[in-house]
Amino acid sequence: MGIRITGIGIVSAIGMSAEENLLSLKAGKSGIGPVRYLDEPRELLVGEVKASNEELIRSLQISNRNISRTSLLGLAAARQAWGTTRHRSDLKSGIISSTSVGGMDRSEVFYREYLDEGKPDYRLLLSHDSGNTTERIASELGITGYINTLSTACSSGVNAIMLGARLLQQGKLDRVLVGGTDALTRFTIGGFRSLMIYDDAWCRPFDESRTGLNLGEGAGFLLLESEKSIAQSGNETLCYVNGWANAADAYHQTASSPDGKGATMAIQKAINMSGIGLSDISYVNAHGTGTKNNDLSESVALKNVFGENIPAFSSTKPYTGHTLAAAGAIESIFSVMAIRNNLIYPNLNFSNPIEETGLMPVTSLITDRQVNAVLSNSFGFGGNNSSIIFSNFN
Amino acid sequence: MFYISAASGITHQPTFQNVGFSNSIGTVSVGSELISPNYKDYIDAGLLRRMSKILRMSVACAEDCVRQAAIHQPDSIVVGTGLGCLHDTEKFLNTFLTVEGLLPPTSFIQSTHNTIAGQISLSIGNHGYNMTHTQNTLSFEQALTDTMMLLAEEDNHVLVGAADEYIPFLDVIKEELELMAPVALTSGSSFFIASKEKSEQTLAIITDVETVGLVVDVSSAIDSFLSKNDMSPSSLDLVLFSGADIGVCGKVLHFLTAHGVNEDKIVDYLPFSGIYPTASAFALHYVIDKLGQDKNLTNVLICNCLNKKNLGLILVQSCEA
Amino acid sequence: MDNLKEELKKHIIEQLNLEDVRVEDIADSDLLFDQSGLGLDSIDALELIVLLEKFYGIQVTKPEEGKEAFRSIETMAQYIRKRKTAV
Repeated sequence: MGIRITGIGIVSAIGMSAEENLLSLKAGKSGIGPVRYLDEPRELLVGEVKASNEELIRSLQISNRNISRTSLLGLAAARQAWGTTRHRSDLKSGIISSTSVGGMDRSEVFYREYLDEGKPDYRLLLSHDSGNTTERIASELGITGYINTLSTACSSGVNAIMLGARLLQQGKLDRVLVGGTDALTRFTIGGFRSLMIYDDAWCRPFDESRTGLNLGEGAGFLLLESEKSIAQSGNETLCYVNGWANAADAYHQTASSPDGKGATMAIQKAINMSGIGLSDISYVNAHGTGTKNNDLSESVALKNVFGENIPAFSSTKPYTGHTLAAAGAIESIFSVMAIRNNLIYPNLNFSNPIEETGLMPVTSLITDRQVNAVLSNSFGFGGNNSSIIFSNFN
Repeated sequence: MFYISAASGITHQPTFQNVGFSNSIGTVSVGSELISPNYKDYIDAGLLRRMSKILRMSVACAEDCVRQAAIHQPDSIVVGTGLGCLHDTEKFLNTFLTVEGLLPPTSFIQSTHNTIAGQISLSIGNHGYNMTHTQNTLSFEQALTDTMMLLAEEDNHVLVGAADEYIPFLDVIKEELELMAPVALTSGSSFFIASKEKSEQTLAIITDVETVGLVVDVSSAIDSFLSKNDMSPSSLDLVLFSGADIGVCGKVLHFLTAHGVNEDKIVDYLPFSGIYPTASAFALHYVIDKLGQDKNLTNVLICNCLNKKNLGLILVQSCEA
Repeated sequence: MDNLKEELKKHIIEQLNLEDVRVEDIADSDLLFDQSGLGLDSIDALELIVLLEKFYGIQVTKPEEGKEAFRSIETMAQYIRKRKTAV
């Protein structure tokens, strides 16, 4: 039995709504460009959401302005996904967000002031902890009770969807908003530069010449509902979540194993759970960050699972940048929209396949194929690998 | 409902490999230190050299649990942390804001919350589900809730725990923001093996766990949690609660005493654990130890209201229950 | 006694937090990234790149370039001398 998705919401570098994101995906239009909003002195390519904090506060009509950008982005996406659904006391609602930086966008502003021995505003730190990011979103939406935050680096967003689906399956909740949000920060930019995997040019997933990622920011949320909840809300079922898995690579602190062990396990388990045949997977939305290590390991994992018959696959990170904890949620929504609209998105910036594997991603928009089931991968630091299957089959 | 087959804790109290500690501990004092074992007995030297305090504490407790329960591998690893790896986060903040040129990556890598669960999986070679919950003072209860679901699904054993680390800067923030803290800010790590089946190893039963975020009515939340589990306040032999916030804790106390719980059965655990977001994991370890010591105890409630917005409830029962 | 090599060993022990290793434990020809030597990994390689910039002003822009240079203390010292004279 699939878990029903009845709402989606995205803010990313390529748009302030799911519709805007879809238009950019179809048009092959990337949102990555030079830094404009973040106070970052270096000339870098980033996938920023094209709105300042002020603009977000205004459009979201926030009264308590002590709020991180991470919460603002999350709230914008969560509201879209929640839509006009009404609260009911006989239905248990919850929210699971995920984030890797939490309120770091404000903490780093504080800390710079602090180091400069100025008069730092300690209240900026009140939004630091990741749990607060979610509580702010929950309180704006009127959700109380089950409020939770996951933080498993780049796989967080998918893990939130997984956990939400399990809560519905076990009847602990009737409806749950699930997703992820991360603001761009100097902390993470500095971090990925220190790992020497930040590409100063456009990221080139699955290309032989790839040298790293471009960071992005954004949020994605999905509304999952039980049949009981749908009977009350009347929301339309957009798509189903059919299978999921999380597995640890347990290979290295940052690098993925060359044999793709954790990734292979995650993909395999998710597909097995879904009961969908390998040949029925129409499209794979890959993690595809553009780092040497991830793309090779992921390619090997795809070969391990699918053999010679790898489905059409692409990474959409050249559109949005790598949005860390939001990535899994945003890409899950891209997967839902692929099914809804029978679309397979191109992997931008690709020219030559990786020598070791020779895999070719999709390079131009495919519109003439039935897309019934999609696999989305999200692999994170510390070997945290998650895969999830969406389809239009219950 | 599930069973606890092993428990381990590294805290400011002599909790590590010290069965019966609950009989002898007193109030943790300001300026007290973490009581650490010889980490080399539990962690590979190659991994240990990079690890900050929170990682050492957590990996050592995890390893200790696996050894105690004598299981080959847990099916999953679930960790709760309120503030994550603060030491490395602070270090990298310092680095990237002050260093011109190349930045050393280690503190960035280890600043992410899931480093704890990730390092445990790496250390014990575990390929199962690996999750990190971070819902400030409810992080541990969220990890337990996930664990309860995993055991209702296909898992037989889950390694579940929580950790938070003290850094001196927390005291600076406390002063500047005039935050109330009746006892010292501390570090702590407590881990458990949660099992689907009862066995000779079983130390206690976790009957139920619940989190109430942005709680509206504390009293009715406690009441409905107990009644859902066919319990009344008067059947509780012991209540551990966190008395940091006078307002909410006053309400909790009033509710309990008004419903037949004697005041001498209500114990504030914060003076023992000190304050950190996941101190309720210390409380669970304390309760498990106590159940082993005092055969008259059957039903224990851990009531976490460390943060007035959030309520965490854990119902623990003795093996005989 | 080669001062550069001794100095390098000290820096490496410090930067990589090799708690139980002393300067005299590292032979010039020990393979740094092999279990027979120090058993370092890719994170250490990045730390060594930072070390080269910090103490010797040498920039390694591609991590792969470091691989050969970081085989042993011997090769590291050679690499530093070569880069220094090239400037």
